[in-house]
Amino acid sequence: MSFFTADLISGLISNFIQFLLILLLAPLSGGIIKKVKALSQKRKGAPVLQMYFDLWKLIRKESVVSDTASWIFKATPYIVFAATAAAAFMVPVTTLVPSAISGDLLLLIYLLALGRFFMCLSALDTGSTFGGMGASREAMISALIEPSLLVSIFTVGLISGTTAVDQMMNTMKAVGVPLLHPVYILCFFAMIIIILAETSRIPVDDPATHLELTMVHEAMILEYSGRQLALMEYSAAIKQLIFLTLLVNLFLPTDQLVSLAGISGAGAAIPAVVIAAALALYILKIILASLVIAITEISTVKFRFFSIPNLAALSFILAFLGFLQYFVLGR
Amino acid sequence: MDSYFDILSALILLSSFLLVSHKRIKSYIKTFRIQSALIALTAGIMGIDSLIREGSFDILIVCVIIVLLKVIYIPRLLYRTYGTVEYKVEKDFYLNIPLLILICCGLVVFAYFSVSNIGSLDGAHLNLQVVNSFSVILIGFFFMISRKKAIGQMIGFLVIENGIFVTAFFSTHGMPFVVDIGIFIDMITAILIMGVMVTRINEKFESINLDKLKNLKG
Amino acid sequence: MDDITPEHLLYGSILLYLAAAFAAILFSRSHKLCTIWSQVLCIAGAAAGTASSVALLFSGQESITISPFEASIPYLSISMTLDHLSALFLLILSILTFCVSIYSIGYLSHYHGKRNIGLFQFLYASFILSMILVFTANHAIFFFMAWEIMAVVSYFLVVFESEKEETRKAGLIYVVMTHLGSAFLLMAIMLMFYYTNSFALTPVSLDQIPESGRNIMFLLFLVGFATKAGVIPLHIWLPYAHPAAPGNVSSLMSGIMIKTAVYGLLRFVFFYLGVSSPWWGVLILLLGVISAVLGVLYAYIEQNMKKLLAYSSIENMGIIFIGLGVGFLALTQEKQTVAALALTAALLHCFNHTLFKGGLFLSVGSVHYATHTKNMEELGGLIKKMPVTAVFFLCCSLSIAAVVPFNGFIGEWLTYQSIFASIASGNAAMNITLILSAAALALTGALAAACFIKLFGISFLGLPRSEQAAQAKEVPFSMNLGTGVLATLCLLAGLFPQTMIALIDRAVVSVVKASAEPILRGSFLDLYRPINFSALLPEVSFSGSMTAKPAGIIAAPLVAAIAMILLVLAALLVLRLFGGAYRERRYGTWDCGFKELNPRMQYTGTAFSKPIKIVFKIFFRTSKDLKRSGDDFYHPKAMEYTIVNESPFEKYFYIPLLAWITNWSRRLKFMIQTGSVHTYLLYIFVAVLVLMLYNRMV
Repeated sequence: MSFFTADLISGLISNFIQFLLILLLAPLSGGIIKKVKALSQKRKGAPVLQMYFDLWKLIRKESVVSDTASWIFKATPYIVFAATAAAAFMVPVTTLVPSAISGDLLLLIYLLALGRFFMCLSALDTGSTFGGMGASREAMISALIEPSLLVSIFTVGLISGTTAVDQMMNTMKAVGVPLLHPVYILCFFAMIIIILAETSRIPVDDPATHLELTMVHEAMILEYSGRQLALMEYSAAIKQLIFLTLLVNLFLPTDQLVSLAGISGAGAAIPAVVIAAALALYILKIILASLVIAITEISTVKFRFFSIPNLAALSFILAFLGFLQYFVLGR
Repeated sequence: MDSYFDILSALILLSSFLLVSHKRIKSYIKTFRIQSALIALTAGIMGIDSLIREGSFDILIVCVIIVLLKVIYIPRLLYRTYGTVEYKVEKDFYLNIPLLILICCGLVVFAYFSVSNIGSLDGAHLNLQVVNSFSVILIGFFFMISRKKAIGQMIGFLVIENGIFVTAFFSTHGMPFVVDIGIFIDMITAILIMGVMVTRINEKFESINLDKLKNLKG
Repeated sequence: MDDITPEHLLYGSILLYLAAAFAAILFSRSHKLCTIWSQVLCIAGAAAGTASSVALLFSGQESITISPFEASIPYLSISMTLDHLSALFLLILSILTFCVSIYSIGYLSHYHGKRNIGLFQFLYASFILSMILVFTANHAIFFFMAWEIMAVVSYFLVVFESEKEETRKAGLIYVVMTHLGSAFLLMAIMLMFYYTNSFALTPVSLDQIPESGRNIMFLLFLVGFATKAGVIPLHIWLPYAHPAAPGNVSSLMSGIMIKTAVYGLLRFVFFYLGVSSPWWGVLILLLGVISAVLGVLYAYIEQNMKKLLAYSSIENMGIIFIGLGVGFLALTQEKQTVAALALTAALLHCFNHTLFKGGLFLSVGSVHYATHTKNMEELGGLIKKMPVTAVFFLCCSLSIAAVVPFNGFIGEWLTYQSIFASIASGNAAMNITLILSAAALALTGALAAACFIKLFGISFLGLPRSEQAAQAKEVPFSMNLGTGVLATLCLLAGLFPQTMIALIDRAVVSVVKASAEPILRGSFLDLYRPINFSALLPEVSFSGSMTAKPAGIIAAPLVAAIAMILLVLAALLVLRLFGGAYRERRYGTWDCGFKELNPRMQYTGTAFSKPIKIVFKIFFRTSKDLKRSGDDFYHPKAMEYTIVNESPFEKYFYIPLLAWITNWSRRLKFMIQTGSVHTYLLYIFVAVLVLMLYNRMV
């Protein structure tokens, strides 16, 4: 069949490798954030790789399932994992290798929405008070943050002429240093707030708390244990890495540096060194982004729940101003 | 060069949005300081540019004055006034903060529509900077309207002044030196008078809530 | 026998519905027979209708016309035309009718022996028939007649359980509002005749009607149709009428009857008047945005399941109107392809909404059938008692929440893409409006998801909150079959949207003379990547666009779904390999150290929606009332807490307006209606004289 050409197959393979890279790196960024926070508090902190050990331990443990729970409770970890990981397929780690799968950013957002939908349902499924509380709060936060997420994506997308993730990244690569551009810097700041909200970080939610007044994401997965908990935690880590990857690859593209250093425009054959350098830079950027998140967490306090609309309004305005700047610039 | 000014104008605009979203008086002063530092940076870049190109260092002097005055002196003065008053946080607003931010956003749109039609301003980049800095003036105004406490009024006034300064700066690339100096002297006087007034109002009414001034009418 | 043509099928469908109506009267003695005969005939009619519309859409024919008989009245012709637009709506109607009729066989059994089933069946069949006439009428007066029949019959269906006070109130509001809309329509149709001397629904040329006349007619049509669509602020009948009607009727009303408004707007404004001013589009867009956001906000705080769904219908009509508005705007800027894209989005969302909202109303009907309550605060834990209903309900909820493998996503995706394409080509003011609409749409989408998390989570999950919920039993097979077909269609339409887009495309081409299908081929249709506008839309300019040609596969929902299934399998495999066999212990939910978990510890629907209610409090006129009993303020014996949610539109617009009208009518009563026969005769006499004078002058 002509559909499966050699290009497609090699593209698929490179996609799959990038996908595995995201899956592999996912627990790392959370570990870095925890470590930086611990160091700032003059603690030694858990090892950076702690989350890998945790997951390893959790999948071997027995699961405790509530009497009240139905099949939704047991199916949710798998659905959440599948939706999040499918979203990870669409996010290229580097634009140097041609990717065969190109995701649509809206599709990506709505895939993550599927995960969120089931997570909230599973929280209500056990009949516990905490679950309902977490679900209700999560619903509000995600609803408030959605407009700014969309406007910032639309702004970047408009400049690229599409909502395809890899083409947006290519356009940004052509821009050079996007952060020296008023449109992108505003969208960048908006995106940071969005990431804080979407990945349940301080000041929106506290990933370390188990106090009923403050927890949101933790309240939803409170009843989980064993391998189901492992899947839920892992999905959250993947989601966080997806957002960080989007952030760094859209607003801090480095692939053009690598291809300048290597043999630029050589065509089909890209030296393995170049790709390795691009991946190394990517990992460096992720570490940098995790540092930024960690520093934000250290230097702010958790907001009162009803102050979150202020934050959402601010991020919406940032995105919207970015959009305005684009049109003022454009004409 | 222009892209730096674009981004600086956007950041200055951003800082005024931050100002509107705060409710602690200490954060007002901090944000004002950041904004002034950004303006000083703008002036510095422009000053170096003109030094290289024309050999004049007028603008660099202005930059130094801004640093001394707006980044160091006035915030310090404000902190001192802040120390004398009792209220550190604004509590009651006429409108809640998200709404205020959204209204400010409307002001930017409005500024865009009104300024983009001014014929003598040409060039897309110039236009962008002017729109952004013009919005800073409007937001400063709006900030004064939305805050009840006297210190808020002072900050609002200063932000308006910042906005006017940047607007002039971006549209002319450096005003005559005398004009700058005149503006600064005006501003210092105003701030000194207002500082004294705030302390007085505080002593008289035991509050710096400007609503209390309504009691003065017969 | 000759080949069966679409004409025959359409005739057949109409005759089958007529037969269903008469069978209902014939068998009205035996309720069981009556239900079965009549519904089976309706199912057959629906099948014929589906076949007829699909046959027309796939054949090369532009349209077919049937005229059963010549009307003897001048200026009236009873003839029906099925063109591509009509066929599309007939298809939607028939699919829904098919499922609802299957469902009704079981659902009506709880009325057997208690109510007049014959009458109900007669009304039910004629309601469907009247909608067919609305979709096929090719003559304005005939259209209006069908429209009125539809309004009146649906009124009787709404008040079917007329012994309840609230049902009668709902019926009253419905009949008043719907006739208000009809009055506007009638005026517009009169203006039509005034300008063109004809009632025919063929496009008019621009010089036949002056600019002002066009604008007035547009406004009249808009008010008339928006009332039927339930667009805010003309929505007030909808949240009353839908909960009051029986489950299958509200499914039909919400699924297809409110879509007649979309059809009407397309037929009378797009097709007949032609789009001339940009502000038409802006107006429709704004109405859409307001309805979408406020609709979903009101839905979110509702505890009555059917009312929640009714508000959600308002929201979805808002989304459809956003699509229509974007299409109008694009047309005035001569961006035909963008307009086609927007209309495809609107029509696809119409179709999708029919599927999932129809299914949801049917499922809520099932819940009502099993528990006799619509209040979600009395439900809970139904997933264990009614597992099949729960699955279908979940499918429809997922669709309406627009999550990926289901059909709701496609409609919203297309709406976003059409907004996106319009932004790239519009001017500054329009762009700002459009991006704000997109933001509003995003807010709506997220809130809708939250809303259906609440609906499903509170009523189906957790512990039962009342006796009825604990005693609930699964509903009869036919009810599940009807819902199940709709739920399955939701999933299929989400996985293979290309079929439906191909059908809709024909209708769109007949309206705007442009097709969006070539753009979409490359994204969903061929299962390729997202739209690359810079390469595909020559009329749209992008500032810094790349012109790389899309190549490779796919991020279509189908692929996402396949990937997800594979990932689930991979996860299971990995866990089995590294984690060993699955071990599970059943234990109680963490009960905070109390003796045991009880239903009152769960979050309620009210509590669930509270945060949003606080954040958006300016849209809700909520009044709280806390009553304490006992002498001591600090140690009350019992406390009662009531929350009243009033609709601000009713409070600040309709009720004052009503008071004003009542007041004036009362005054007029004394001025004009004196009660004296002589005065009345005088009126008639004067009227005759005036008319004669008018005749003389003209």
